[in-house]
Formats: sequence, structure tokens, C-alpha cells
Amino acid sequence: MKKFIKNNGTFIALIFLIIILSFLSPSFLSSRNLTNLVRQVTINGIIAVGMTMVILLAGIDLSVGSVVGLSAVTVTLLMQAGFGMWLAILITLVGIGGIIGFFNGFMSAKFDIHPFIITLGVMTIARGLSLVLTQGVSVPVTNSTFASIGSGYIAKLPSLIILVVALALGIWAVFKTSIEIKNGEKVRNKAKLTGGIILSLVGFVSGFLIFIGYQGIPIPVAIFVVIVMIGIYTLQKTRFGRKLYAIGGNEKVAWLSGINILKSKTMVFVITGVLSAASGILLASRLNGASPNLGDGFELDAIASVIIGGTSFMGGVGTITGTVIGAIIIGVINNGMSLLGINTFYQMIVKGFIIILAVMIDVLNRRETA
Amino acid sequence: MAEEILEMKSIIKDFPGVRALDHVNFTLEKGEILALVGENGAGKSTLMKVLSGVWPYPTYEGDIYLDDQLVRFDNTREAEEAGIGIIHQELNLLPDLSVAENIFLDRHPLNKFGGIKWEQLYDNAAKMLSRLNMNIDPRIELGDLTVGKQQMVEIAKALSLDTRILVFDEPTSALTESEINELFTVINELRASGVSIIYISHKMEEIKEIADSVVVLRDGSTIGDKIKIDQVTLDEIITRMVGRDINDLFPNHDFDRGEKTLEVKNISVPDPFNPEKKLVDDVSFSAYKGEILGISGLMGAGRTELVNAIFGVYGKKSEGEVYLNGEKLKIKAPADAINNGIALVTEDRKELGLLLDKNLVMNMTLPSIKKFSSKLAMDNHAERAVTEKYVNELNIKTPGLDVFVEKLSGGNQQKVVIGKWLITDSDVLILDEPTRGIDVGAKTEVYRLMNQLVKQGVTVIMISSELPEIMGMSDRIVVMSEGKKTAELDRSEADQETIMKYATGNKGVE
Ligand SMILES: Nc1ncnc2c1ncn2[C@@H]1O[C@H](COP(=O)(O)OP(=O)(O)OP(=O)(O)O)[C@@H](O)[C@H]1O
Ligand SMILES: [Mg+2]
Repeated sequence: MKKFIKNNGTFIALIFLIIILSFLSPSFLSSRNLTNLVRQVTINGIIAVGMTMVILLAGIDLSVGSVVGLSAVTVTLLMQAGFGMWLAILITLVGIGGIIGFFNGFMSAKFDIHPFIITLGVMTIARGLSLVLTQGVSVPVTNSTFASIGSGYIAKLPSLIILVVALALGIWAVFKTSIEIKNGEKVRNKAKLTGGIILSLVGFVSGFLIFIGYQGIPIPVAIFVVIVMIGIYTLQKTRFGRKLYAIGGNEKVAWLSGINILKSKTMVFVITGVLSAASGILLASRLNGASPNLGDGFELDAIASVIIGGTSFMGGVGTITGTVIGAIIIGVINNGMSLLGINTFYQMIVKGFIIILAVMIDVLNRRETA
Repeated sequence: MAEEILEMKSIIKDFPGVRALDHVNFTLEKGEILALVGENGAGKSTLMKVLSGVWPYPTYEGDIYLDDQLVRFDNTREAEEAGIGIIHQELNLLPDLSVAENIFLDRHPLNKFGGIKWEQLYDNAAKMLSRLNMNIDPRIELGDLTVGKQQMVEIAKALSLDTRILVFDEPTSALTESEINELFTVINELRASGVSIIYISHKMEEIKEIADSVVVLRDGSTIGDKIKIDQVTLDEIITRMVGRDINDLFPNHDFDRGEKTLEVKNISVPDPFNPEKKLVDDVSFSAYKGEILGISGLMGAGRTELVNAIFGVYGKKSEGEVYLNGEKLKIKAPADAINNGIALVTEDRKELGLLLDKNLVMNMTLPSIKKFSSKLAMDNHAERAVTEKYVNELNIKTPGLDVFVEKLSGGNQQKVVIGKWLITDSDVLILDEPTRGIDVGAKTEVYRLMNQLVKQGVTVIMISSELPEIMGMSDRIVVMSEGKKTAELDRSEADQETIMKYATGNKGVE
């Protein structure tokens, strides 16, 4: 039991938070509010998926917020200049997210400079670029297809079908992963099986209540879920994911074991850059335009989500599932405090304390197991 | 009968999945040097950790009596205050601090403003060191000392605490011959001044030389009683340790030299701190299919640097050419060496060999990760299967495949490093001090394995500081001294004196 609480501490904290808020503010649990909350989480969550990989390598990426801003500005300006929507999106993902990420990763890995320094510089450069491109003022875009990416919904019936398929897939995955090998024999881990099924069902029911009860699944949420799935699969199942854990565990050992550090690190920063750009595009779509200061401070929420989600700053330990829970916690706190009418200035103070608390828990846990 | 100062009664220590100590009884007399021996994972380090407060009281069962007083330590600090010092298997110092600071850690002499009285600190440290006849400047950074000197600093630290019982957990595994002699002198002086010593080692000759008596641990229990060292033969001790006779420490292999496989030409490695000097100076040699090539020399002779250069560790900083089966290789990083079929079992398992907080599977398959994955996914079943195979083959003692390797005993960790490189199925296997810290039984297993590999056509290169091992296993021996190759000897012409002569710098005739 003690172990269960320790391993699922953030998840339990989240449940508590939700229960408390639902008492304090009756509108918290409304489908409308929850739909909005989830949609807000996606903007930060998408970045946090990339940030998880960066921190797994014991790195940091401070430039994500500026990349969000520059991407939003770029995609808007490209469309203003008459580029087609998809082309504009593609150029932004590759040209802004990809190239900035490559620069971050390559510079820090090749010349062995801490990514804190490189990305701090890039953060300022990218913000400056946004200001230059927009002359410091907001830029609008009118394109209803583009707007629907960030603010549209999947209709209720297809949403329902998606939820059912997801439930089926979830249970199938639980069945597959709950088999463990003990002494050469396959044994089913019953606790893992029931736990997984309950979790899938809870997910299905809350998805149903939240989304079907309102207007269907928001498109950005669907995009986020797909990104999370790919992220989880990448870290848990692929060779690339394995390499990241190895590099984060001990870079020298990984290198001596034949892993190309430069390649893996660069790749991780490229992924983070592209995801930040995607987040910026979603934001521009939702706001029908961009302002040069968009995304300011987003790096803090992303880093906080990752740390609250149990990824260690020392590298080598962490999961995307944890990060998603961390991102939801941040979202719930923001949303809850707004509902309760707490001034945003105080919200910042509270968030700061929560980050410190999460790191403390990480440190203490490690000391105990050491 | 001398007075008994320590008695440990019926000690039990459980870890998840293993009982590391099972009702162990243990006594120590004043001024006694007691050797504690046993296979890897037998529980030696664990018993000493119980004694020195690393594992505080309720985490073990049983009683510890110091001078007939029951003691229960909550932490290492309390054990130190009671006069128990330990030099751990893995050194425990802070390399960035000065020698003096390491000795007195948080017991600096302070002035009335709470500032450190540096002069007094250095004086005190110098006094401690001179007690050991050590000529070490207490002001220099610890990291700049050799491992042997660092160990002396650990001893000085223990002595600064009025230690009455001093534990050495495999102190000599990283020491040079002369450092070992220095250490033994110090230990003998300590005994003369009434300190009792517990000495853990896998080197049997050492035990015969230094110890008064010996206790054998096997699978967490003592085997027989404590025996006086002169009433027992080494073979008897080994039999107690492993539960069977080992009559052939160095198993023979019919060496049948095949074609030339690895050839290295003019390897040089510059000294990063001194551009005038070279760590490896223009070394060339060849290795053949079906033979074991030994590389001998004193510590610091440049042997590790030589094989590191071959393996691509220094990238462009090292010079020289490497040929495999007549083909020139471009090796810019270890990955290139591995892809060309060269494997290197590194010397320092903790820093260079293992991902300590990862499980056995991940550690063992890391260099051959490509074999166990497609572009899309890892094949978890295949990698578990192969890990299990090598765990059995190397007799790695572990509660399971999913434990973190840091939980394994030192020797078993070493076996994981060896296993990890065996899985790569390389054509050339380079082993840098492969048997460091592993027990006699496991040593012969590793030797057998080397023989088996040689038979399968693998070229094996072994660096070793232990002369018996080099002479017992190699078909040919390259000797190095101060970065240069000083000799290349056939098995038949290699004896202890000849090797030592070349190792200490006699260039002789090439
Ligand atoms: N912190 C730990 N957690 C779990 N198991 C442990 C831990 N430390 C030791 N063990 C287990 O306890 C047993 C005894 O280990 P110990 O380190 O005492 O062996 P040892 O006799 O010192 O071996 P070696 O000669 O290899 O150093 C081993 O099976 C080891 O895996
Ligand atoms: Mg040990």
C-alpha cells in the first residue's frame, strides 16, 4: 500500500485536487469547464512531451515558449502572405521548430555546452525575431478551416466511436502488458490487469461525460492524445527511447557502449522544437492570429509538468504518462484558481511552491531508496 | 588468549528477494588481522555495512557487542564515534576537495567567527599523513592523487577518528605492487598499535601474507569457525569458499595460432595535462586468431590508454592505425569499433561500465541493442532470453533480471560488464582487468570462457596487473612501461623476473 501511494503519488494528488475543487466550485465539474480545461492542458502538454525527453537526458530547453510565439507569428504571416494553410503549417513546423531544435541540440552536444546556455540564448533570439517580424503588434488571420484546428470539435457520434475504440485498444494493451515473465514462464500480473482495466473504464466514462456531454472531442485534444501515444510508445518500446534512458543514466557509459550521443541529443531537441511549433500553431488557430509575446513563460509550465510528473532532473528516470498527469495538475490548478476568482499574480506564487514541493519529493524519494 | 573486542551475534539481513546474511556469528580480537573471504555475493560487504552503521539497527536482526556492550548504530557517524572505521570497496571521497578537507570532512577546526582555521587544518592533516609515513601535500585536490594515495587518505581519515576497528573492503584491487607493499606496512603498524583489522580480499596470496586468521562466508552463512592462518592451506580456504575443489586455477587451452586479425601501428596518445609527454608512445602490435594476448605492465604504464585508443575513446586526439583482417579501420568513436567487431570490457565498472540505476537486461543488451530491435520496437522477449542465458552462464548472483545492477555485489557487477560485451559476439574482445574483484571460482569461470572464445576463433586481448594471471593465461605477452612497449614475450620465455624487468623500464633488445 505504501509503495502504491509512493509510486502513484502525483495521480492521487490529482484526484484529491479534483475532489476538493468540485466542492469549492460547483461549476468546476461541468462538461463545459472540463472541456475547456482539457483543451488548455493540450497547449502546455504537447510541449511537455518533448520537454520530458530533454530532461530525461539531464538537459533543459528554455526556448520552447519563444518557439511557440515565433511559430504562431510565422504561420499567421505566411497565410497572410497567401501561402496555403497546410504549406504554411509545414514550413512552420520544419523551418521554425525543426531548425531551432536542431540548432539547440547540435550546439549543445557537439561543443559540450550545457543546453541551459544555448537555449537561453535562443529563447531571446526567437522572441526578438517575433517582435521584428510583427513590428511588435498583433497579426490577425481569417481562415475558418485554420480556426477549426484549434477551436473545432469532432462531432459527437464520431467522438463516441473514437472513445469506444480507445477503450477497446486500452483494454487490449492492458491484457498484453500485464503478462510478465517469471522464471521463464509467462505469468499474468493480476493487480496490473485489474488496475489497468479500471483505469481504462474510468478514462472512458470521464471522456464520455466530459466530451459527449458538451460538444464532442476538441480537435486539439485529439491531436494531443495522438502525440502522447506516440511519445509513450517511443520511450517505452523503441530503440531510440532505450538510448535516451541510457544516455540519461550515464552518458559516458552509453557512449562507450556505442551510442551516438550527438545524434540522439539533436533528435530530442528537434522533436521538442517541432512540438513547440505545433503548440504555437494550435494557439494561433484558436486566437485567429498571433501576438509577438505569445508563449511567454510557457517553458516554466512545461518544465513544471515534467518535474511534477516524476521525471528526475538528473536524467535517466521519467515517463510521459507522469508528465501528462503533471500537465493536468497544472491545468487544474490554473483553472481552479481562476474559477475561485484568485488573482493570476497569486496563481504564480502557488505554482512556484508546487514546483518546489515536487522537486523536494523527488529528492527525498531518491534519498530513501539510495 | 587476547581480549575480544567485537562480537556479532546471529546477524540476519534481508534484501528484497535475497537473504544476504543468515545468522552470522563473528568475533574479533584486539590487534588481530582477520581475513573475511567468500564468493561474490556471499555477504562480506553487507556484514561490514551492518557493523559500520550503513545499515542501521532495525534493518537487520541480531546483536553487536563492542567490549561486551550491546551497540545499535543509527548511522555511520555513531559507528565512527564508537571507533569503527571502514574503507569501502568503492572509495568514498570527494575528489574536488583538498586532501585535508577530505580527512576532516565536517570536523574542521574553527575560529571564533565560525571560519575554518586553514593552517591548523593542514597541519593536522599533515600529522595524520606522517603517521602513515605518507608524503602527501594536504593542500592538493584529492582527485589529483593516484587511487593508492587516495586510499591512504581514507585510512588517514579513519585514524583521525580514533578508530579501533578498521575494515578494508577489497583495498588492493586497484593498487600497484609498491602501493600494496606500503599498505601492508601501514596495516602491520596499525596492528602493533592495537588496532584490529578486518580485511576482505579475493587475492588468496595476500591473505596468507597479511592475516592472522580467516573467516569464510558462503551464501550468507559462515562456513566452519574462525581458523588461524597457519593452520590452514589456501586450497582448504578455497574449498570452503566455493564448496568444491578448484584444482586448476588457470585452465589450459590448446593454442593454435591462426591468421593475423588485429594489427595496430604506431599508436600514440598525448597527455592532456602535459603536451610534452605521451601516455602511449608509438606502440605497435599484432594479435592472432586463436590466441590470448596479454598486456602487462605497472599501473600507469599506459595499457588502458592503449586499448582505449584502439577503441576510439580519444577520437582525433590519438594517433595510429588499426587494421582488422588486413583492412584499415576508421574508428572515430567507440560505436565504430563496436560496429567493426571490437569489444572493450572497461576497467572502471562504476563509471564506465554500468548504468547503475538500470536493470540487468538494459545493461547487458546496451552495446548490441540493434540485435534486439527492429526500426520500430525492441524485442523484449529476445533480450530477456539472452540476458537470462548469460546470467546463468556467468553464474551471476541476482534475485532477478529486473533489479538495478547497483544492488548486486561488486563481483557480480563485474560479471554483468563482461556479459554485456560477450553478447556483442565480437571478433576481437579486449578485457581491461577483467577479474578485478571477482572470486576465485568466478575467475576460473572467466578463464574458461576466454578459452572457449579463443577456440571459437575470437581474438582475446587481456590487460592484467596480476602476474600469475598474465602468465597463466596468455600465449604471448606485450609488456609496457611509461607509455612504451618494452617487450613482446612468448609464453615460454615469460617468467616473473623477465616481465618485471621490462615492466620497470628496462628496454632490453627488441
Ligand atoms: N542494497 C542492496 N539491495 C539489494 N540487495 C543487495 C544490496 N546490497 C547487497 N545486496 C545483495 O546481498 C548479497 C550480498 O552482497 P554483498 O555485497 O555483501 O557481497 P560480497 O560478499 O561483498 O561480494 P563481492 O565479493 O562481489 O563484493 C548479494 O546477493 C547482493 O545482491
Ligand atoms: Mg563486496
